[in-house]
Amino acid sequence: MGNSIYSFLLFRALYAPKAAFAKLAGADPAPWRVLFRYALWLLILPPLFSFVGASKFGWRVGAAQPLVMDSNALLLISLGYFFILFFGLVTTALISRWMADTYGANASFGRHVALITIVGEPLAVASMAHLFPDVFFNALVLIPTTIWAMYLLYTGIPLALGIPPERGMLMASSLVGWLLVAAVSLLGISMSLWTLGVGPLLGV
Amino acid sequence: MTSATIAQGHDPLAETGEVYEDAVVIRLIQFSVLWAVVAMTAGVYISAELLWPTIDLGQFWLSFGRLRPLHTNGIIFGFGVSALMATAFYSVQRTSHVRLFSPALAWFCCYAWQLVVLLGGLSLLAGWNTTKEYAELEWPFDIAIAVVWVIFGVVFFGTIARRKIRPIYISNWFYGALIIVIAMLHIVNNLAIPVTVDKSYSLYAGAQDAVVQWWYGHNAVGFLLTGGFLGMMYYFLPKHSGRPIWSYRLSVVAFWAFTYSYIWAGPHHLHYNAIPEWVQSLSVVMSVILLAPSWATMINGIMTVSTAWEKLKTDPALKFIVLSLAFYGLATFEGPMMSFPSVNVVSHFTDWTIGHVHSGALGWNAMITYGTFYFMVPRLVGAPLHSVRLANIHFALALAGTMLYIVAMWGAGVSQGLLWLSVDEIGELSFSFKDVMTSMQPFYALRLIAGLIFLTGTLLMTYNLFKTLAGRQAVVAKAPPVDPAYAINKEVTA
Repeated sequence: MGNSIYSFLLFRALYAPKAAFAKLAGADPAPWRVLFRYALWLLILPPLFSFVGASKFGWRVGAAQPLVMDSNALLLISLGYFFILFFGLVTTALISRWMADTYGANASFGRHVALITIVGEPLAVASMAHLFPDVFFNALVLIPTTIWAMYLLYTGIPLALGIPPERGMLMASSLVGWLLVAAVSLLGISMSLWTLGVGPLLGV
Repeated sequence: MTSATIAQGHDPLAETGEVYEDAVVIRLIQFSVLWAVVAMTAGVYISAELLWPTIDLGQFWLSFGRLRPLHTNGIIFGFGVSALMATAFYSVQRTSHVRLFSPALAWFCCYAWQLVVLLGGLSLLAGWNTTKEYAELEWPFDIAIAVVWVIFGVVFFGTIARRKIRPIYISNWFYGALIIVIAMLHIVNNLAIPVTVDKSYSLYAGAQDAVVQWWYGHNAVGFLLTGGFLGMMYYFLPKHSGRPIWSYRLSVVAFWAFTYSYIWAGPHHLHYNAIPEWVQSLSVVMSVILLAPSWATMINGIMTVSTAWEKLKTDPALKFIVLSLAFYGLATFEGPMMSFPSVNVVSHFTDWTIGHVHSGALGWNAMITYGTFYFMVPRLVGAPLHSVRLANIHFALALAGTMLYIVAMWGAGVSQGLLWLSVDEIGELSFSFKDVMTSMQPFYALRLIAGLIFLTGTLLMTYNLFKTLAGRQAVVAKAPPVDPAYAINKEVTA
């Protein structure tokens, strides 16, 4: 495995995802290499943008004044954000690898990590929207990006894991089920943390 | 039936060969689609009212307060129950190998139900309202619903009683639970003292009324929107994919676990209210336990379809059912999570709840029903679907509409929860109700777009099914011979 695949994925997967999936289909990268030489660079973007945006401007949830939090709480939230993204990537790749047996897909764990990273790459880059921390603006940017990421998931699985598109559709739908659950868990965890006093000052 | 009886010249076909009553199934599907269009249009209209309140044109019957119960009742009782009656009548005949018990009663049930929904809907527009959510209809309609529901039960259980197959297939357990539990919930919750024809007072007072109401409300979701539609899934998914249920044993275990645990979860709608704390805690525990049977069922469905991927090449309908399972997984996870008091304190009374309901109603109920209708209608009239391409477009629209709806309401809900509870240094609320509602406009606009996308898909299906059905009659379908291993009179003939 040459080094070129990681820089290829990092810089070209965003605008040439099909070429990235095709390149991945012929590769068997080591999972930790994918993680540290490709995925990690993307995973630090959302917490970084979120930290900068929230500390400079404060989150606007639509009402007049922005919600300003002290920098310690923000740092804690950004670190939490990073670890949740990291955890999310690894668990999604693990679940994808686990599902591979059911759907007859390639079982190389490194390939699954890379696949999930390619799918998530547009979201990581679009998290630049966090620099302008307005909930609606972020929703406006991230919703179309999420749709694009879903499209990448459905097209990427059959290409990168070598299964027919119909079988890929079933596997992608199962993964969407997991991702929806993960997303809503993130909301639930955030709310529990707020209730416990981590994050914005709430009267609970 | 044994080889001995066949050898004696006993023709197995002579005992079966009953013609299924399918015309009533087609009529119920037509009504279900009609109510889907009407009630979803009402939903889109009221979502527009949240953006532009003056479009009620000063008419009371067009106001949010009157159209909203029309939307929910139209979807649950018009679209949902008509679809459940259609699929229950279709599948109970085929899993019992007999014609419906009393087709005349089935037809009565079909038309009487539509009349109740129509007149009930008009009464809601007129402002008759018990103020109990999902049980808004006043006492004359409650009595009518109870009567028609019992007739539904007579037809269904009468058919089961006449069955020629000894085992009662799992889908029938779910449909049976739907009929029995909804009858119990509906009657108990609607016990009231009538004052006039359009006004009654609940037999229960205060906190007891709230507990009874949410025992009803939550289990209406449980046994109608979940249990009933699981009956649909357990019959149509294996039929559709041409595979037996992945684990029949798991389906039976999940059924009993589901039935036992669901009934306790209602009070999680009443956290931080004036009901005993132990009741609230018990409801959280039961809500979490409920995750096990819910997900067991989801896994059973996903594994059943996982080997039938070739079917997706030719069958657009199966996609709906596959996706519906993903949203079922989401909704059944989201519900228990939202029942945690630490989450509920922020999420309660926000649009997150509306998003949660729609991840179930659009993603699970509507999608599985659409998939089932695309499967049934061509088979019922013996003709191919008018347009597979339109069905594929419908699938994309349904998925996009549901996703956009859920995400918009997540955004709105989190923002609302955060803003309502934000306090300043001296403990004063930071934002007024008006501030919060004004800031919701962008999310409501997204939700309106999502609703329009979903409704457009439903209209495409309506056209597609109409063209498939136009000028055609139900084909004559006969019960096949009964496998002697499963025949109900095995002991008698042996």
